[in-house]
Amino acid sequence: MENYENLYPVDDELQKFIDYRKRTGSIWRGVFLMSLFVAILVLIVLMLNIINDAFGLVAVENEIDPHSLVIDYQENTMVNMPNTLVSADHGDLANGIIDNDSAIGFIGHAHYQANADELRLIAVDGQFPTAETVADGSYPFVRPLYIYTALDTLQSEPAVAEYFRFYLENANLVVGEMGYFPADETLVADQISLINKLAGSPQTADSVTGDLALSGSSSLYPLSRQMLVDFRQAGFNGDIGIEQIGSTAGIEAFCAGDIQVLNASRPMTAAEASACQRNRINPVEIAVGLDALAVVSNPSLDFLESVSWNELSLIFTAMNFWDEIDPSYPALPIVRSVPSAGSGSLNFLSARIFSDIALENLPTAAYADIIRDKLGRGRGRALERDQRFLADGFIFDSESAFTTACASDEPPTGCSLGARDRDNLFDVIEQEIIVPQVQETWPLYDSLFKQQEIVNRASAKYPDAIVEFKSWLNRDFLFNPQSSEAELAGVRTAIWGTVMVVATTFLFSFPVGVGAAIYMEEYADQTLWYNKIIQTNISNLAGVPSIIYGMLGLTVFVRLLLPLTSGQFFGRVAEGTDPSGRTVISAGLTLGLLILPIIIINAQEALRAVPNSMRRAGMGLGATKWQTTWSHVLPQALPGILTGTILAMSRAVGETAPLIVVGASTVIRTDPTFFSRFTVLPIQIFQWTSRPQAEFQNLAAAAIIVLLIILLTLNASAVILRNRYSTSN
Amino acid sequence: MAGEIMISSPTHDIEGAEDVALSLRKKTKWHETLIQGTLVACGILSVFTTIGIVIILLNESISFFTREVFEITNKSIATDIGSADTTFETTASGSTLEVGQIVRIDEELMQITAVDGLSITVDRGIDGTEIGSHAADEEIEKSVRVPFREVFTGSRWQPRLQQFGMWPLILSTLMISVISMIVALPLGLASAIYLSEYASDRTRSIIKPILEVLAGIPTVVYGYFALTFMTPFLERAFFGDNIQVFNTLSAGIVVGVLIIPLVSSMSEDALHAVPQSLRNASYGLGATKLETALRVVLPAALSGVTAAFVVAISRAIGETMVVAVAAGAGPRNFEWSQVFTNFGRTPFNPLQSAETMTGHIVRISGGDLSYNSIDYNSIFAIGLVLFLITLTLNIVSRRIVERFREVYD
Repeated sequence: MENYENLYPVDDELQKFIDYRKRTGSIWRGVFLMSLFVAILVLIVLMLNIINDAFGLVAVENEIDPHSLVIDYQENTMVNMPNTLVSADHGDLANGIIDNDSAIGFIGHAHYQANADELRLIAVDGQFPTAETVADGSYPFVRPLYIYTALDTLQSEPAVAEYFRFYLENANLVVGEMGYFPADETLVADQISLINKLAGSPQTADSVTGDLALSGSSSLYPLSRQMLVDFRQAGFNGDIGIEQIGSTAGIEAFCAGDIQVLNASRPMTAAEASACQRNRINPVEIAVGLDALAVVSNPSLDFLESVSWNELSLIFTAMNFWDEIDPSYPALPIVRSVPSAGSGSLNFLSARIFSDIALENLPTAAYADIIRDKLGRGRGRALERDQRFLADGFIFDSESAFTTACASDEPPTGCSLGARDRDNLFDVIEQEIIVPQVQETWPLYDSLFKQQEIVNRASAKYPDAIVEFKSWLNRDFLFNPQSSEAELAGVRTAIWGTVMVVATTFLFSFPVGVGAAIYMEEYADQTLWYNKIIQTNISNLAGVPSIIYGMLGLTVFVRLLLPLTSGQFFGRVAEGTDPSGRTVISAGLTLGLLILPIIIINAQEALRAVPNSMRRAGMGLGATKWQTTWSHVLPQALPGILTGTILAMSRAVGETAPLIVVGASTVIRTDPTFFSRFTVLPIQIFQWTSRPQAEFQNLAAAAIIVLLIILLTLNASAVILRNRYSTSN
Repeated sequence: MAGEIMISSPTHDIEGAEDVALSLRKKTKWHETLIQGTLVACGILSVFTTIGIVIILLNESISFFTREVFEITNKSIATDIGSADTTFETTASGSTLEVGQIVRIDEELMQITAVDGLSITVDRGIDGTEIGSHAADEEIEKSVRVPFREVFTGSRWQPRLQQFGMWPLILSTLMISVISMIVALPLGLASAIYLSEYASDRTRSIIKPILEVLAGIPTVVYGYFALTFMTPFLERAFFGDNIQVFNTLSAGIVVGVLIIPLVSSMSEDALHAVPQSLRNASYGLGATKLETALRVVLPAALSGVTAAFVVAISRAIGETMVVAVAAGAGPRNFEWSQVFTNFGRTPFNPLQSAETMTGHIVRISGGDLSYNSIDYNSIFAIGLVLFLITLTLNIVSRRIVERFREVYD
């Protein structure tokens, strides 16, 4: 008795012991549950990681802004219209309109005011340029006028600083009578205090020494000149000089350090500013007033009161007679006066009038013109040899050179192909002229929660880049072929590759796999040694690493069966080219061997699940073994077999390693055929993942989403099939 | 009742039946035989696949081991020789030449038939190479075979530079397998125990599909995950600059994650197969659920669980895409002595890049591979080693199940 009492704990101790065991039990239960959650957590993190990479902000830098192509094209159209007077001097433009009875044109408002009695001012969209409409922005053709100088100049030359102060204090008093419009008063005050801060406290005109030399815009010329004259009258006794060379040329000279004070009728672009910075010139920008461009006509065109946007674009880029604009107008020819190409005024007008027109909306003929203007001659000729731009002529090539090339032994593809269609021309413009380049990308999380920070950083780092939210998974991504530019790359060829490879796999492995399963289950005596070997062998094959199958495929399909897999045997290889066995067929057959064991094992299970009574019933009625199998057993087992096959196919869809060994290609730009080189989605993902640039990781993430959706669809259909099958029984 | 059914069948069947009655001898049905033959062929194809794999790997591996590579001897010819000379002097420097060896001067191959001090006699123009004259001081290159011993002892793998030690690849593979097992075995087994012993049917019906999804994700996606998530995560959370962009640790962890579903589903099957009566007996003796699970059910299912582990190892060794993406490109060559002096430079350091067998095969065959190069032969030799390792593990796994399975009835 005593022995037993010592052996087992009692009372409190027993309770403690039980508590301890319970506690250990629940702790371990927690541990088991946690490990299960690790798997789920990984799945969630993996999905989030992919989504995080597939969407987000990107900074894209175009070599040329696509909209500037539109504006340039429209500018060209405007200056090349018949009956059009083109001049950089607005005085000439005004005279041209005065001299012709049916003339219309654009001139600076100051120039209109100088000739107000001989010209007729026309409203744009019902708005005349007046102090009010200009100030509140309802008149559309208003642009600020600027004077620039370098920060160093402002600080070291008191004459410049004093002239700037004088300009700001006095310009608003005279702009009205000169035909300009005043700058905002608070802005003027702010700018004066800025100058005081940068260049020290104000002095008087007669106390400062030094010379003043101005150059740049012709629109601002009269005002700046007047200011110089007034400054001289206020007591300035240095030399003064002013030239008009146009804003763009002026900015260029200014950034090269050739101009002391710059007149500009448009602000510097970010690119121009950074060019200045590179020359160690810090531009100081001072807004001095507003300039309106007026639409004016000869007084005899009294039927014109106001023109709409659409009419403006028709008048200046399309129609030749007034009655084409409106049948009620007289049938007079339209005579136009427009500022010359490349001037700030025309550029401004064109950007305003055609702001709504996207590159996609231009007519097809415009694409050819843009290509002619912007594409280099050598590149253009090469592309034209590949495929002609125009059906009836050449842009870069000459008729005779092209004909000679076509008569040679190796004619370029352009000889047999028709002219490029609209989409193709657009692609050429996008890839050869615009050349969008991704500078940097940000993941979704940062894009959502640190948006402002990113935008600020990007605009400092890439001044010309557009920062926008981009879904890497988009329509273009699905329908574009592979490309080395991340911005233009897509997965169409890879999806086709996957579809065709998997189709080949299915056609090979389904009949063979089901056949083998039927043999093993219905015919074979499983106790015989050779059938045992087959069965063992099948399960061993399922454990062979997939890359070994790749080596099998490389040797057997790519090399040994080269005539069959390259299509040579079927006459599918062009004379004189080396046949290559690295084709869709080879890949499909390799994957077929790889998933064969899976299909067999699944099909065997499905056949085994068919009750034996079915077979006995068939046999009992005198059916042969095959008849029983075909009409009784197989229909019963089919849903199970199909489910297994679909799951095996999804394995084939995601398989990568064997296809690399078999020789999937890197860049495939044309849709594959059964006897062509190929790429598939996983290969594409692998290649993009392996590249160091971040934008290719984004592409990989987008491609992974496509791949996972395909797999999900396959698996879902297997599950549906399985459920339907199990409920119907 | 059965008789009535017979009568209701159409008349022509009855006429057919009369025919049968007339000849009851077994008729050979040719198309049945044909069909059966086809089915047998389908079954045998799988055997041919295995045979094909073995033959191809052996064949190319034999070419690898019998392939002639030429090694510089530091010995050159002492005098100019014309195309008719078969005996000539060599310089005293360099390694000695032996009868029967094949040597190369310029592009011409010669077989040595006699050696007399520094003078050698050769058969000119072996293997159809062009016989020409050679100037003095021309280097003599000696043909060597890939040394069988070096392959299995050497610690540098650069076939093009005549370095054939396979250990850098094998060790990296083992490293990744070990790391992945550290992740996958405990997590997989613990998940299996929870699913089999604790989870309600409802939980199981939610969790199992999730595991199936994990198992169905293509391995290249896991590779992406290792490179873009796991490595930056390890870098930020633990190792900072000490970890390289490509490293075996993150590849190993992710391979482990990808094997969890395999381990847990195979182990769960094994645990589930243990009869309920054993559990009931255990509860009856007062054991807690944990005690029952760990001391009764797990030992009873041990053969199945072990088999799962072995299959998992085999899977980890054969895993390709994760290591190809995340573990690095280039074998981690080292010296055996470094293992003690400069451990960090050996494949055992999980924080630096290393190339596994599978990774190497992928990288070599991903480039423009010429079919007659040493690289081409070498990947088959690696493939053979890989195949033998995984095959052995798979057979071992099956043996374990067969030999140690506890049969309950």
